Amino acid sequence: MFLKRYIPIGIVAFFGSLTLFGWFIDNESVEAFVNDDATQWYDIIASFAIFLGALNLLKLQFLKVVKRQSGWQYSVVAIASFFFAFTIGFFMKGAFFVGEEVYFTQGAAEQAILASGSSETVKAVEWGAHISTEGGLFKWMFDNIFTPLSATMFALLAFYVASASYRAFRARNFEATLLLLAGIIIMLGRVPVGSLITPWMVMYLLVFVGTIFMANYFKDRKIIFGSFVVGLLGVTAIGIGMDWNPTERAIFFLPSLQEWIYTVPNLAGARAIMIGIGLGIIVTSLRYIFGLEKSYIGDQ
Amino acid sequence: MNNKQIQTYSIGFIGITIFTFVLTQLPESIHIFQSERAVMFALLLTIIMVMLNEVKEARVSADSIFLRTIPGLKAVEEAVGRSTEMGRPILYVPGIMDMNEVETVAGVIILGHVAQMTAQYETSLDVPVARSIVMQAARESCKEAYLTQGRPEMFNEDMVHYVTDDQFAYAAGVNGIMQRDKPAACMYMGKFYAESLLFAETGNSIGAIQIAGTASQAQIPFFVTACDYTLMGEEYFAASAYLSRKPELIAGVKTQDMVKLMLISFIGVALLSRALSDLGLTSFNLLTWLGL
Repeated sequence: MFLKRYIPIGIVAFFGSLTLFGWFIDNESVEAFVNDDATQWYDIIASFAIFLGALNLLKLQFLKVVKRQSGWQYSVVAIASFFFAFTIGFFMKGAFFVGEEVYFTQGAAEQAILASGSSETVKAVEWGAHISTEGGLFKWMFDNIFTPLSATMFALLAFYVASASYRAFRARNFEATLLLLAGIIIMLGRVPVGSLITPWMVMYLLVFVGTIFMANYFKDRKIIFGSFVVGLLGVTAIGIGMDWNPTERAIFFLPSLQEWIYTVPNLAGARAIMIGIGLGIIVTSLRYIFGLEKSYIGDQ
Repeated sequence: MNNKQIQTYSIGFIGITIFTFVLTQLPESIHIFQSERAVMFALLLTIIMVMLNEVKEARVSADSIFLRTIPGLKAVEEAVGRSTEMGRPILYVPGIMDMNEVETVAGVIILGHVAQMTAQYETSLDVPVARSIVMQAARESCKEAYLTQGRPEMFNEDMVHYVTDDQFAYAAGVNGIMQRDKPAACMYMGKFYAESLLFAETGNSIGAIQIAGTASQAQIPFFVTACDYTLMGEEYFAASAYLSRKPELIAGVKTQDMVKLMLISFIGVALLSRALSDLGLTSFNLLTWLGL
């Protein structure tokens, strides 16, 4: 009980307080601990812990293959990829220079010398540098297999953003309609064509949005349609009255409007959330330091 | 806030101010205080003072603290129940960062509460993680949860398993698990980056009930759009208190609100002071005086 409960709490309290209050102490040793040593300790522990993760990964993938669980074929690929990366990372230099040319194996490099008949010698890269040498096997694997696969996953975001936007921008209620309006204004205001759209066009757009707002509160379609027509005619009448002057009503100029939305309401909301997050982090951290929160050591 | 609290906080705040002032005035030979951080120091001590006082009061009368209903946390039990009825697992993603991020720690703590529920309902739980240390911490948390619920036989340490450290490889791995196992509920509680939408949209496509919680500000809109419930910022950090109902943790939530109230008052006074200064009605500006 003592070892499992109080010692971890004591360690957290001591190092937590030291790190927290160390920020206010003007002392080189304390500053070095807070800024460098503590994080380096963490990195060292994390580096050793990776073996636990790797072993767990292999164990589960092997079990999947042995038990022929659903999708076991993917596990075969995972195991093969693991050992491929492990082998070329730890046991193969994979980068042999003949002049400027790089070859994956020493044999290939020597054959190239024989074929060309040159007097060059084969130079292998140093261990450690072999994983980042341009043209080397590990770097080739990283650039030609790993990076495209990561990029593929990242590229999926473009499609997911579209489908998520479709759901978010459906004008179901007041808030969703507000989001729709802000989204349209920001999207149009940030592209070159946005500055070519006359403010009068934006006023027509606002009539559409106003009608959507009304639809939330009035169920009578005649009232909604009537208001819509009156709005359109109103904007048209004002436009004709002002000779469709594009310099009028700068507030509805899309680039200015989007800038205002972005820097005023959006920033205010973001800062409010940031203050809440900041306070949450401070209080949560203090709960650990003072030993009030013990769930992280399994105390439910 | 009652009169006693106002009195306690006023005396405490005066004490903290004097203490901080004394620290800044120490003679050169023993001066180890970073004087330019005095305001931050005073604010930190104020938060500590408020928290310790609230904890003390909560231990005496915990019922007096009102905790508003957070739909996302109420939905956790609903999600576990749904998974039980459908006979499908629950997928819990504790973010992609390590235990040095307070959001990950909060995610692991919430996992403990979720694991208690899955132990009660006898539902399977799947926790793919992106960091080895998180794997160990999450295992410990789940194991303890199953033990406290009297179901140690249901705990299997492989329910928490490592996938990879890489962001998109992890996203691909978790999405694969979702597509193959079709969990009835997906929970995302931790620190997320671009992979948040990949998770949430895949979860949406398989028809899972989704609950997200994060303090990663840029990812909140994605979760709000694609998930059924989202715990935003401070709600996420209040989750542990809400689920455990422990007085000392609920007191932490009240501390946040008290400090927020103080900050709002400070912002109001600072605005007024700045306005009066700018209008030339007074030469005193609070922000300049505090060196902010």
